[in-house]
Amino acid sequence: MKARIISIPVQDQEKALSFYTGKLGFVKKIDVPLSEDSRWLTVVSKDEQDGPEVLLEPSPRHFEPAKTYQKALFDAGIPYTQFDVDNVQQEYERLVSAGVEFSIKPTEMGTVKIAVFNDTCGNNIQIVEML
Amino acid sequence: MTFYESELKRIKNAVYLNQGQLDTVIGTRRYINSNFDVALNLNLLSHFRFVSKFHLLRLFKKYYGQTPKQYLTEMRIERSKEYLKKGMSITETCFAVGFESPCSFSTLFKNRTGRTPAEFQKRATFTKPV
Repeated sequence: MKARIISIPVQDQEKALSFYTGKLGFVKKIDVPLSEDSRWLTVVSKDEQDGPEVLLEPSPRHFEPAKTYQKALFDAGIPYTQFDVDNVQQEYERLVSAGVEFSIKPTEMGTVKIAVFNDTCGNNIQIVEML
Repeated sequence: MTFYESELKRIKNAVYLNQGQLDTVIGTRRYINSNFDVALNLNLLSHFRFVSKFHLLRLFKKYYGQTPKQYLTEMRIERSKEYLKKGMSITETCFAVGFESPCSFSTLFKNRTGRTPAEFQKRATFTKPV
């Protein structure tokens, strides 16, 4: 067995694709239409295109409990998942100037530095740098 | 304050209060990062941080969940993938990341990645990212 995909629930796939590629810098890998309004849509890190794929999944639109869970996490400020970066402070500044909103500014937590932003698709996402 | 923020605060106070220990493990990790390509051992690392080697081993594992040796090996394997992708030979790659025997490097590489360095390199050459 291999871990190849992490999935993130998104309210709007098109908007998510534009945020994850345009603002965050991922690149689109797989895009397969599944029904009229949903696709199997994955993005990968630009520097690691054979690495794990992030599946932008339209679950909150099609499955009520997914929507409830996503909203509860979001309201509690809990990140849905996290991505590694080389430098949290630099990435924070880059994203802020691109209009991304942060709920937690760069903060040291022992051996790591973290920050948390709003992905505009219903999730908090954490970025992390090992110190 | 959100629930997550209060949890961060709680964890920070429960786990990350000892700045001296943090400085030791973070310093050790940075030392490994910049010296991964030379022969490194626990004696050297502990000498550099002025702590006993067993203490350092325990501390590193406590904060990073891995021993310095496990961390170093992982780092060397990751770096070797970059060199192999760039077309460096297997023997050269082995020495460039600080391993001493190309044969045990190949075995270890296969163990960790599921492919031998040669297979990995071949595959990387045929699937160049856009």
